[in-house]
Parts: sequence; structure tokens; C-alpha cells
Amino acid sequence: MPYEFEEILETIKMTEIEHFDIRTVTMGISLRDCSDRNLEVTKQRIYEKIMRHGSRHVEMAREVERQFGISIANKRISITPVSIPFDRFKRDEFVEIAKILDKAAEEIGIDYLAGYSALVQKGMTIGERELIASIPFALSETKRICSSVNIGSTKAGINMDAINMMAQVIKDTAEKTKDKDSIGCAKLVVFCNAVEDNPFVAGAFHGISEPEVVLNVGISGPGVVLDAIKEAGMTDLTQLAEVIKKTIFKITRAGELIGRKVAEKHGIDFGIVDISLAPTPAEGDSIADILIAMGVEDVGAPGTTAALAMLNDSVKKAGLMASSAVGGMSGAFIPVSEDQGMIRAVQAGHLSIEKLEAMTAVCSVGLDMIAVPGDTPASTIAGIIADEAAIGMINDKTTAVRIIPAYGKKVGDTVDYGGLLGLAPIMPVSTLRSDNFVLRGGRIPAPMRSLTN
Amino acid sequence: MKLSEDDIRKITLNAINELGEKASPALVKKVVGKAVDDLKSSSLSFPKNDTSSGRVILTAFGLNKPGIVASITKSLGDADCDIHDLSQKLMDDFFTMIMVVDISNSPKDLKGIQDEMSTIAEELKIKIYLQHEDIFRNMHRI
Repeated sequence: MPYEFEEILETIKMTEIEHFDIRTVTMGISLRDCSDRNLEVTKQRIYEKIMRHGSRHVEMAREVERQFGISIANKRISITPVSIPFDRFKRDEFVEIAKILDKAAEEIGIDYLAGYSALVQKGMTIGERELIASIPFALSETKRICSSVNIGSTKAGINMDAINMMAQVIKDTAEKTKDKDSIGCAKLVVFCNAVEDNPFVAGAFHGISEPEVVLNVGISGPGVVLDAIKEAGMTDLTQLAEVIKKTIFKITRAGELIGRKVAEKHGIDFGIVDISLAPTPAEGDSIADILIAMGVEDVGAPGTTAALAMLNDSVKKAGLMASSAVGGMSGAFIPVSEDQGMIRAVQAGHLSIEKLEAMTAVCSVGLDMIAVPGDTPASTIAGIIADEAAIGMINDKTTAVRIIPAYGKKVGDTVDYGGLLGLAPIMPVSTLRSDNFVLRGGRIPAPMRSLTN
Repeated sequence: MKLSEDDIRKITLNAINELGEKASPALVKKVVGKAVDDLKSSSLSFPKNDTSSGRVILTAFGLNKPGIVASITKSLGDADCDIHDLSQKLMDDFFTMIMVVDISNSPKDLKGIQDEMSTIAEELKIKIYLQHEDIFRNMHRI
């Protein structure tokens, strides 16, 4: 037998019992050749290009799923940040572009298409300003479009004017989608140090240094790590790190294989495998449960940040060994609404926004899928974004804020989106004001560590 | 020489790139036809960077009963599949079997054999998985 009995059963156990799946195969498509002065021509070019490359995306991913017996949870598409090729357009025209993107996504049969984005960490063009203004309309008038805006980086500093605009955009999006629990905000990410090859929606976009078409893959598998930790029993932390690494190694190898096979079927380049541990609302597929299995009573207990730091670092080390094409975010995600354990911790009052903020300093990505009261002022949201961006800028890492000021809701209520977006209890936010700081505007200059040359 | 669907798709994509804006259905057909003929007449083939074999791993388990091995092997034999290795264990009443099967000479593809196995699995009330060998090679071998 070329493989041991136990090895084969281990793989079957991972896929059948422990929810191991490939979280996403995301096809990145450049739209830089699709611009024209005429909006209708532009729309036609966008539609044709996406359909040309993406129309068989779902079908091919299904074939690979079947061949290897590992399911691929999401098949998605990312595009060039829309503000770059289409900079000449105005707000309402951008909304038209969002609608044609939505139509293409629907016809391909994917749930999300991401890249309705702008990169404004240093400053804004006229087109970027128009795109940002169009976001509340685009997200409320489409179903499948995800948007992200990068407002800071270690090299450029933090653009506070952009943060203030985004805080208002988030509030407006919440209001425009109020009859669906402000779902628009679940599809809107504000980044610091955004990465160009991230396969994970909602923050994905096809960066400007990427090739024409590329296939990136994001692995998953908190359930597999959880079971491995439980099986390891009361070992010391050095040994525990070893257990985590061994598990992640195998998952990454499987992820890369699947990604390469899908890319091969399309005849396009394989890009990267993103070795992020991404939870889903399914029971047992939770990062919070891993932290509890590591020994903290609940997420939020002292020691949580240290446990998460170790988990995140072990994931990276194993992934790097397993694949030469590691990229994207590559860390552990802690979205509140998408993780049963996180939801429980918030409901029990064990986990606050402040503790989550500390946790984001040691993992990817940031304050993710957090619902706050609908009457939270825009300046407070701007303050939260600025804090998170500062962690990213100073530590030279990606951070993001995906916050939902749920319209008309208050602490004690919940928003429930079902599916992968899950359920978010409304969390209390500090009532201390940040206005006089954030409304100064301007830019927080780039930090010392930007001067590396 | 046998062209796989993937090869044909690659040729088509190359042709699209080559023709660019000028492409019309008739022109594409002509260029693709020529490319396929060229390929057939030459001994060259696409470089296979992929070392994967035609071997799949079959895993079956469930409550033990007579005839499990017989049903599975008969169906594999009928489909011209070659069994390279077989290992079987009984844990109390629980039956487990792992097979390494070469399907490259079978007229059926992996999907066809998978469909057949799921019929057998249903009849015998057991679970049967068929996965390409590469997934195990990648996960368990460096």
C-alpha cells in the first residue's frame, strides 16, 4: 500500500466530519482594457470580459471538487479596483457599472463579485471621490457586489479625510439597506495595507500588479485544527504549536493542489494560496472554539490574545513550509457574526470591541462583521477605523474594519443574515466622543518604519 | 493521439489570443483545426508538468455484511479498472476497505465510476469514496 490505512482515513475524517473544505477559489480578472468614453460601450466590454473568463468557473471548480472529494465552499470573482480603469465616470455611472457587474455575477452563478474598490491611502482622484460617493447606492441596488476602500498604508500613512468619508458611507449604506438588517455594510470593507491578491470576499480585488487573469485559493479548516488540539490533550505550548503546524501543513497542500487544478482547467496562471483559518457559522467550524480548546475559558478571557498570536503564527509557519505560493492575508480571521463561538462570547458579555481590537493586532484581519447600534455617530465609526488602521500602519500588516451600524437597532438586538454572513449581536460602543480628533482631517504621516530604504 | 478536453480548450484559448480582435467563428475554427492537425501529425505533445497518475483511492466503510468486496470488485472489473492494492480491516462489526485502483484503461471516467459506486453504496447501505490519488500524495508525502 503506498499510503497507510490511517493516512487515508485521516483525510476522509477531515473532509467528512471536521468540515475541511476549500473556502474559496477566486478568479481575478483585470478590467483595465475595458474603459471607453461611452458608458454603454464600457458596460458591454466589462460584461463580455467577465463572461469570457468566468462563465465556466463554477463548472470547473465542481469537476475538481468531485475528482478529489474535497468541497469548495465558494467560487468567486475579483476584479481590478473599479475606480482605476473607470476614473472618468461620475457617481451615477459607477452605479450602472455595479449593476452590470451584478448581472455578470448572477449569470455565472456566483454569490459574490468583489473589487468595487478604490485605493486612496495617499489622496483621491476625482473618479475615486465619485466611486466612494456611489458605494451606498451600488450596495443597496445590487445583490452580489462587494466593495472595499484602502485608506491607509505603512508607506503612505493614514488618510483621515478618506476615513471620515467612509464613516459616512457606512452610515448611509446601513440606512439604504435598513429593511435587510443593513446588509450593505456586510459587503463593505475599509482597509489599511490592503493586499492585491486576497481571494477572500468581501475584501478581494485584483491588484494592479496582477496578471490578466489569475486564480487564487483560500483554505479553511478551523474544525480540523480544533480536533487536532483536542486530541493532543494537555501538552505544553511548544508541543501544541507543533500539532497545529502539522495539521495546517496538510490543509495547505490540499488547498494548493485544488487551486492549481482549477487554474489548469481554465488554462490560466495559478496565483497564491491564502493560508487563513476562516470560520463559518457551522457548529465546530470556529476560531473561538480553537482558543477555548487551547485553554482560555471563553474568548475575551486574559490570555486570549496570546493564544491567538500563537495560533496565527503556527498557521503561517506551516503554510510557508507547505507551499511556495503563499500570499493574500494568510492568518486567522475573527469575524464575529460568522463564528458560533464568537457570537456566544459576545452574547455572554465576555467579548468587547476593545478586546477584539487587541486581538486584531496579532492576527488578520481586523474588526470584522461587528454590529453596533444604529445611532452610533459617524465620527465614532471614523475613530474606530482610525484606531484599527493605526495598528495596521505601525505593525506593517493588513487591518480592516467591516462594521454594521444596524439601522434602528440597539444593544441587545441582533442582525441575522443567515448563510455564510451569519448572525451578529449588537455590541456596545464607547459613548466618548472622537469628533475633535477625526474631524481635523488631513493625513497621519507615514511612520518611522516606512523609511526602510 | 488522444486529445483531452483540456488540451482542446488550451488550443482554443491560444487561438483566441492569437487572433485577438479579428476573431470570427469561422476564423477561429480554421486556426484551431490547423493547430489540432499539427499536433496530431507531430510527435510533440503538450509538456505535462503534472506527474499525476490515473490512480484513484477507493475507501469503503460501513456495517459488515456478505458481498461488499464482491459487489465493488465486480463493478470495477466490468469497467476495466485495475486493482493495484487492497487492504481491508474489520473492527467489531465495522467494515473498512481501502483500494488503490488504476482507471486509466477504463472506458469510464472518474465521474462515471463514482456514480456506479454510489449506486452500490446505496444498495449495501455503506459509504464509498473515490478520490484521485494526488490528494493523498500532497497531504501525506513531502
